[in-house]
Amino acid sequence: MELRISHLSKTYANGVRALDDVSLAIPQGMFGLLGPNGAGKSTLMRTLATLQEPDSGSVTLGDVDVLRDKDAVRRTLGYLPQEFGVYPKVTAEELLDHFAVLKGITGRRERKETVKALLEQTNLYEVRKKKLGGFSGGMRQRFGIAVALLGNPRLIIVDEPTAGLDPAERVRFLNLLSELGENAVVILSTHIVEDVSELCQRMAIIDRGRILLEAEPLSAIESVQGKVWKKIIDREEVPAYEAEHRMISTRLFAGRTVIHVHSAERPDPTFDPVDASLEDVYFITMAGLHAHEVSLSGAEAAS
Amino acid sequence: MTGRFLEVACFELRYYLRRVSTWIYFGIFFAVAFFFMNALGGAWESVTIPVGGSDGNVKVNSPYVVSVLTGVLGVFGVLVTAALLGNSVYRDFETGIHTLFFTSPVSRFSYLGGRFTGALVVAAVVFASIPLGLLVGSVMPYLDADRLGPFRLMVFVQPYLVLVLPNLLFTGAIFFALAAVTRQMLPNHVGGVMLLVAYLLSSNLTQDLENERVAALLDPFGLDALSLVTKYWTPVERNALLPQLEGMLLWNRLLWIGVGLGIFAVCYARFRFSHVAPEWTRRKRAAEPELVVRPAHARPARLALPEARRSFGFGAHLQQYLSMTRRSFRGIVANRYFAAIVGAGLLFLVIGATEMGKMYGTSTWPVTYQVLEILSGFFALFMLIVITFYAGELVWRERDVRLSQVHDATPVPTWVPFASKLTALALVVAVLQAVILLAGMLTQAAKGYTRFEPRLYVETLFGLQLADYLLLCALVMLVQVLVNNKYLGHLLVVLYFVFSMFMDQFGLEHRLYRYGSDAGYQYSDMNRHGPYLAPFLWFKLYWAGWALLFAVLSNLFWVRGEETGAAWRARIARLRFRRPALMATGVAVLLVLGLGGFIFYNTNVLNDYRTGKDRERTAAAYERLYKRFEGIPQPRVVGVRVAVDIFPERRDVDVRGTYRLRNKTRVPIDSLHLRIPREVEIRRLALSRPAIRVLSDRGRGYHIYRLAAPLQPGDSLRLEFDLALDSKGFENRVDNLEVVENGTFFNSGALPSLGYDPNAEIPDDNTRKKHGLRPKERMPRVDDPRGPMNTYISRDADWVDFEATISTSPDQIAIAPGYLQREWTRNGRRYFHYRMDAPILNFYSFLSARYAVRKDRWRGPDGREVSIEVYHHPGHPYNVDRMIYAVKKSLDYFTRSFGPYQHRQVRILEFPRYASFAQSFPNTIPYSEAIGFIARVADEDDIDYPFYVTAHEVAHQWWAHQVIGGNVQGSTLMAETLSQYSALMVMEKEYGRAQMRKFLEYELDNYLTGRTTERKKEMPLLLVENQPYIHYNKGSVVMYALRDHIGEERLNAALARYLRDKRFQEPPYTSSVEFLGYLREATPDSLQYVLTDMFERITLYDNRAKAAASRRLPDGRYEVVLDVEAQKFVADSLGNERPVPMRDLVDVGVFGAAPKGKDREEGPVLYLAKHRIGAGPQRIRVVVPRPPASAGVDPYHKLVDRHGDDNVVEVKDGGD
Repeated sequence: MELRISHLSKTYANGVRALDDVSLAIPQGMFGLLGPNGAGKSTLMRTLATLQEPDSGSVTLGDVDVLRDKDAVRRTLGYLPQEFGVYPKVTAEELLDHFAVLKGITGRRERKETVKALLEQTNLYEVRKKKLGGFSGGMRQRFGIAVALLGNPRLIIVDEPTAGLDPAERVRFLNLLSELGENAVVILSTHIVEDVSELCQRMAIIDRGRILLEAEPLSAIESVQGKVWKKIIDREEVPAYEAEHRMISTRLFAGRTVIHVHSAERPDPTFDPVDASLEDVYFITMAGLHAHEVSLSGAEAAS
Repeated sequence: MTGRFLEVACFELRYYLRRVSTWIYFGIFFAVAFFFMNALGGAWESVTIPVGGSDGNVKVNSPYVVSVLTGVLGVFGVLVTAALLGNSVYRDFETGIHTLFFTSPVSRFSYLGGRFTGALVVAAVVFASIPLGLLVGSVMPYLDADRLGPFRLMVFVQPYLVLVLPNLLFTGAIFFALAAVTRQMLPNHVGGVMLLVAYLLSSNLTQDLENERVAALLDPFGLDALSLVTKYWTPVERNALLPQLEGMLLWNRLLWIGVGLGIFAVCYARFRFSHVAPEWTRRKRAAEPELVVRPAHARPARLALPEARRSFGFGAHLQQYLSMTRRSFRGIVANRYFAAIVGAGLLFLVIGATEMGKMYGTSTWPVTYQVLEILSGFFALFMLIVITFYAGELVWRERDVRLSQVHDATPVPTWVPFASKLTALALVVAVLQAVILLAGMLTQAAKGYTRFEPRLYVETLFGLQLADYLLLCALVMLVQVLVNNKYLGHLLVVLYFVFSMFMDQFGLEHRLYRYGSDAGYQYSDMNRHGPYLAPFLWFKLYWAGWALLFAVLSNLFWVRGEETGAAWRARIARLRFRRPALMATGVAVLLVLGLGGFIFYNTNVLNDYRTGKDRERTAAAYERLYKRFEGIPQPRVVGVRVAVDIFPERRDVDVRGTYRLRNKTRVPIDSLHLRIPREVEIRRLALSRPAIRVLSDRGRGYHIYRLAAPLQPGDSLRLEFDLALDSKGFENRVDNLEVVENGTFFNSGALPSLGYDPNAEIPDDNTRKKHGLRPKERMPRVDDPRGPMNTYISRDADWVDFEATISTSPDQIAIAPGYLQREWTRNGRRYFHYRMDAPILNFYSFLSARYAVRKDRWRGPDGREVSIEVYHHPGHPYNVDRMIYAVKKSLDYFTRSFGPYQHRQVRILEFPRYASFAQSFPNTIPYSEAIGFIARVADEDDIDYPFYVTAHEVAHQWWAHQVIGGNVQGSTLMAETLSQYSALMVMEKEYGRAQMRKFLEYELDNYLTGRTTERKKEMPLLLVENQPYIHYNKGSVVMYALRDHIGEERLNAALARYLRDKRFQEPPYTSSVEFLGYLREATPDSLQYVLTDMFERITLYDNRAKAAASRRLPDGRYEVVLDVEAQKFVADSLGNERPVPMRDLVDVGVFGAAPKGKDREEGPVLYLAKHRIGAGPQRIRVVVPRPPASAGVDPYHKLVDRHGDDNVVEVKDGGD
């Protein structure tokens, strides 16, 4: 099963172009959607989750037309929105059971088993009788996962799932996701590069509604390998370097500034080679430096 | 500090003033106010909305009308106050930005105070739209200039200052504080409901005079206080005076501002700059321990989920529907605020039940229909709020907790969430109905009434009423779905309620276009659901078709997902409009068309559908066409012989009969003019002499026959008629309540009458003007020479012989005036033959019902016997003995004081409560089940009004059926005032003077309030123009005082003399002027002024006791020095008063200590005598034997005094 998005565009009433001719092919497995805040990730995710209507374009999941046959999509969908709340006065078990019914698990015994298994998997079994109002952000997030996983979905959409999770919970959560990716299409949107590099076989970078890059993380890293250089400088020097080099990022390290620049050759001997990471790919792409080049190689890899 | 305060306030101000919703609120209130003022001012010819007498002498831009309008619109403003003030702090919590504010160096005072002030100013600006709308509305050039007084700016400003701003201050404080401390909006809504309960309670309490002041205090919006302060304002005063902050209105305002500030203070003290809301109770904190979670790595290694079978068929959808319904329902019910709402409702029910059906302060037995009517009637407003509010909550439930995206992405068909929410709402209503049921039965049990009627409870609460509420739920849900903004939705629903109240006034009278309506409904113990039930069900089924349509629409436009723009929603709706929606629409349209057609067939084809306008037009045409025939010589009815067949099951009546007519004039009569009501089907009309029909205008009910040979003076002829009063199908508004399954009661009005009937003309001058007719006098002047030629109740007969054969179903008894000659059964029908042995007025009635009969007899001092019979509903035995007793006492007193009774029988007949009066026909008194049959005269203090009503009606056998005035001003004085006086005397003999004082307090109050809404002219009693507040209420007060002045013996002797001279007289009939002559004759010269003041003028007093002090005299007695001030006024017909010289005999009384809880003048009388009192201040000294507690002038309110509460003061002990 493959999710195909072609020429999807969406402009909001206030004129914001949230999606601009987006086309993607997403196979089974984990797919990372990377982009800054406001890039259009959530709009795309909500569109895939049948909650929003694009102005034009089409989406198919296998042979299902996602935009038309929403019911069919919803039957195979697990969706964890970026932000969600719960009824504070209801227990985890009750609400999960309720959602199980909504997802079509109508047999009482089966539902009970499913709910129990999911609560165990998400490590909420012990607090199943507690009111959701008392849950921490992480627990709530895990509860959201449990809801998303009800009914063995084939299409799982998780929007910024790791925001607000503590490091241990994040690891746990990502593990869970990677297991799901073994037999479903899992789309993970995030603005945290590590989430993608650790998990995803494929990824796309989106900004201002446009797909800047669609690639496998490894080959994307490969494509910039040897072209990223770093140097430690003083902060006052940054503008000078910026004017002279294609600077892709700056960061502080021990009170001084580390800059990364993009260049086919070592700019000068004071620069050191960098073992390129996905983060460099991201910044290079975002800076619009050689998106074209990279996306071409990405497209090849996808075909 | 103040700088920050101001900064916060200004920020708040700017925030709200930039929001569109603020200006939408402003616009809506402006528009509504503008609209009302225009409607009142006659902007639309068809719209008449009377407020505070604005359809009569009160101008629409008068202070009184503007105050009432401003106050009422202000109450609706609570919705906006809740939204503005409640959201002021709440929105910080909702968005989570509160942590930023709380960590900034703004003090709690600046933050709360600033926000509060800012929001308050915004609300004040919004509400300025009300006076502004009224003001602008009142200066529109197209208004009817006659209805407007001079423009005065203060008229609009004052109510805003006195009513709106204080209400805003305290409701605002409450809403603001509640939301700030609880960090929720829900408590606000509960707070709003509580305020409403207080308002309802207080308006409920005003029915009892004794509670008036409490009620005025209790009403949080000050409307009851306003009406108490302005209670006795005459039209002139209503037009001139601005309501001032004084008296009860001031106390009310102070009290409620105090309450608001108190709540604000408590909340201020409670408010913390903390991240989470402080707990109100300790218990709750203990219940929520910190959650303990296993460390993350303890998770099983592999993800293993059981493969659950899933289904997506209808069965699954059903299960989903049930699950969602359960969730939604529990979400509402398992909430302490819901409990608070129910609690408030119960409290209201309990208190409401104590005031049940009070008349003269006496309550009734809690029969089921009455309990149901009172409880669910007052609860209805509550229910509207609950439905309006929770519909919004339900529609927004998922979105409010930000769970909607998860919900919306589940494989659930879109109809499921909508249907389950609608069901949950219906269940909530059902729960509340069950609460009413419980409260009702408990009320009955608590009052010692055990004739429970569970079936009636269930039929009413879960049948009729629930159907109404379900229809409403569907509409309100649709509004919420379409508008997609909770608060705007609430406001629109409220506007809809207001609009639907006034639809009739717009001429939108047909029930087919008023959503959820029916042809009316009223339960009667006698006739149960009666003729209302069938149309009710048909109409509700028809509306159910609409509701289904609404449901389909709601489904199509149900917001699922993030697309909330109108264009997208329309597009999605088109996509959703597939087979099931199409089919449901088809069914709905079929229902609407099919049932609508059926209803239309019933209301407009089988029946004669006519709007109020139609009726007006007919009346106008009648007058224009036939007025010229008024007063032409016509023969008079001298004998009536009728055969009436009543078919209760079919609700049909056949009337066949013969009038004997005689030419009593001195000229030959060449044609006969007949009036027959349009509703009556004429099968045959025939004259015993050759005649040709020259006009038959059935629509306006006018028929003319020309006699071949004129009827010579003294000659007779017979008119034979065969008429049918059939009911066919059902009407738009159930109108025919005279012929019913059990409890038929109709009178001679349905039969032909002779000549032009001026009573069929449009009485109201404003309406007449619209139809180009000149203003009309209410009655001919007392000196009109033609007036005395007829009695005031008949224009075609004097005294007639009467005979009737009347048949009905075998289980019913049928009654007409006269004595039963024979009773028989034929063809399964029961026949009764009645005949009168003496001539009667041409005024008779026919009744038929399943009766229980109680018989008794009264023997006069001369040995003459009168049989007494009470025909009553078997379930209403409570006061039958009391009535019989009252008949006996009345016969005693009246035969002794006035003269003999002309009949051998007095019959009282109960009829259904579709009308609530008792009416005296010859030897026959139909008596509504609503007044007296279920009265509960529990203790000695209660006014025994069944006794009073009975005595009054028996008195009419003398006053009206023996002596009757001509058709001129003042004639109802001899009928109603004298019956009232007669009943008072019988009552006083039975219950003593203290009870009379209580009764007369109501009479005086009714008179003084009655004159405030006079539409034409207040007349002096002598010239009363059939004005009930004068001939009944003022009449009682006047006659009782006159009795006090000249003595019972002398007064009764004058009445007896008058009766003897005038009884059964032929035309010209007597007049009130003639009657007053008899009184003058019996009154000493020194008291003649009393007659002038009481009968010929409108006289008012302002007597007050200023101070009283006592001194112990050496002989052990006490001297009381009483300072009084007095003034007498004469008022004109509009209430303009002018002081007049006074030297009147007025009671001065000194009293000992009154029993606890009683008024001062209820204490033991130490001194009571009439003194000559002049105008202005004066000092009176009297000596009393025992220590005085209070003293005063006119302590028993025998004179008409608008300030009765300042007549008696406490006596200060001045020592020796």
